[in-house]
Amino acid sequence: MIEIKDLSITLGKFFLKDINLSISDREYFVVLGPTGAGKTILLECIAGLRRTKHGEIWLGGNNVNKLPPEQRNIGYVPQDYVLFPFLNVLNNITFGLKQTTDNKNKIKEKAHEIADLIGISHLLERDTVSLSGGEKQRVALARALASSPKILLLDEPLSALDLQTARYLRFELKKIHRDLGITTVHITHNQMEAEEMADRVAILNKGEINQVGTAEEIFFHPTNAAVMNYLGRPNILDCEDCRIIGQGIMEADCRGLKIIVPHDGKPFKRIIIYPRDVYVDKLNPGCNKVNCFKGIITDIKTSANTVRLRFKVGENMIRSELPYHVFDEMGLSEGMEAFVQLSLRRIKIFERSNRNEPSAGNNQSSKDRI
Amino acid sequence: MPEATGNYDSANKTGILTGWRKFFSANRLFNTTTVGVLVVLLLFLAAIFISLLTYTKWDTLLAAVGSSEILFAIGLSLVTATVSTVLAIIIAVPIAYTISKNEFFGKSLIDTLLDLPIVISPVAIGAALLVFFSTPLGSAINNNLINFVFSVPGIILAQFTVVSALAIRLLKSTFDSIDLRYEQVGRTLGCSKPQAFIRIILPLARNGLIAAAILTWARAIGEYGASVTLAGAIGMKTETLPIAISLNLLNADIEKAIAIIFILVIIAVFNLFILRIVAKQSYRL
Repeated sequence: MIEIKDLSITLGKFFLKDINLSISDREYFVVLGPTGAGKTILLECIAGLRRTKHGEIWLGGNNVNKLPPEQRNIGYVPQDYVLFPFLNVLNNITFGLKQTTDNKNKIKEKAHEIADLIGISHLLERDTVSLSGGEKQRVALARALASSPKILLLDEPLSALDLQTARYLRFELKKIHRDLGITTVHITHNQMEAEEMADRVAILNKGEINQVGTAEEIFFHPTNAAVMNYLGRPNILDCEDCRIIGQGIMEADCRGLKIIVPHDGKPFKRIIIYPRDVYVDKLNPGCNKVNCFKGIITDIKTSANTVRLRFKVGENMIRSELPYHVFDEMGLSEGMEAFVQLSLRRIKIFERSNRNEPSAGNNQSSKDRI
Repeated sequence: MPEATGNYDSANKTGILTGWRKFFSANRLFNTTTVGVLVVLLLFLAAIFISLLTYTKWDTLLAAVGSSEILFAIGLSLVTATVSTVLAIIIAVPIAYTISKNEFFGKSLIDTLLDLPIVISPVAIGAALLVFFSTPLGSAINNNLINFVFSVPGIILAQFTVVSALAIRLLKSTFDSIDLRYEQVGRTLGCSKPQAFIRIILPLARNGLIAAAILTWARAIGEYGASVTLAGAIGMKTETLPIAISLNLLNADIEKAIAIIFILVIIAVFNLFILRIVAKQSYRL
């Protein structure tokens, strides 16, 4: 159990302000926030690498404010792994074990056990300099886990990896977490990563925690404008009518669009879907045409790796977000007709949760931005 | 494409190509000048070396190398330079680490002061040490603990004073290049600060340490000004290799002086050779 009470710290231009968090045993907790939000400082405070003057940190029921990092029983995987270059993979993994025991057989046994679990047994004799990014990541993880820590701290563990390796390691990390049942704090700026991996997510922005909840709560019921701004404006569609058409499936009439929604229960007034879950195709896609609509591209905005498009679909404005290379292959331009498909399993019901909620009828207010 | 050719020709007439020619000639002038300076320097060094070789009578030189005076000077130089280097590295490691990894009030002032022995004339350092040993505290040390003035310990102290600043400077840049996070990760893996220093920082600094030791030793073996001022130039007593050169020149014994010069050159080349090997083994941090 990790408890953080009123933690405040300033380090140059980075700071944390009145952080309060409670992370349960065996939980996979993700801290999501943009670059410079103070995520790494938070992790370093938990690890004991930063002295905390204001606020308290409790680990397993003990106040650890004055405990040095070596006595906190944590495993820490820093952002770019920081493997020891003068040691091979095996000796990197056994580094922490050698602090706790002199029994060489025990050390070797434990190192092989953890290497097997993480799938790096074939790398043990290798030099760390020659490893690929994904392999380095695994070795850093094995090194952190070898001394059986109570808490695992992961600092942007997947951000330096290519997409495919990152996707695979996400799955691996979850599996390891499940197998070992270790309380894990994972910080990232990647929303998909947070959504896929977290038991609970905290949004950290400008040194403050904006919201804590399950991924579902955070992404589909954001409680304040700061969270919604950070996550990017989702499409929120007003629905005039809805009816049950099958087990757990309803059809909503949103200003003329008949949208199938996975929902079982009360009628609803609005649905929400993130732009990244709105797929685009130039021709009518070969799908079974669920939630597939023809629209006109009214606006295209390109940023570093993604392209944001706005479609006029009937009376609705629907925003989509595509990776740049996908957009580039399609040859889309403003004024062109194209099809949008709202991913069925990603449509959620938008419920008004408190009065800080941002205005939902956003079709007007968001006209100047996509 | 006739149009394109036409454009090219007209560009040629309006002097773009002439401009390019100027550009190239400016570049060539620059290259010639820089390489020229290098050639002049190499010629200068070659001239010195050749004059040494032509001046030398080889049979007398070989006899000089075997003389008891030069053998004594070699032995004394090797011992004093090694002892002063070991002492300098021992004190430089903690000092360089402290300055490199900690922020404290007056750090830049201390950092600057530590550089003083590098920039001050060695003779001035030797004279200052001599003055110190004439004070009550200094003479008490000199008379009751270790006799430094006009003695071998004086050579070691003089060399140590001159080279320790160099060792600190070299080791500081080594520690500066080591990312603090290696130590941090070590701490989370159960190391206390001293354990992290021994198990992580020192192995990471290994090549820097060796390089610093070699350069410090090379500086110590060539040290003359401070040693001669504090320990004096006493033949067969405080006669290191540089002091032996000076003594033999004063006695107009040129062959002996040249023999020692060759010995110092051989030692220097050997040092540089080892440095090269160490530099090649650096970790990619």
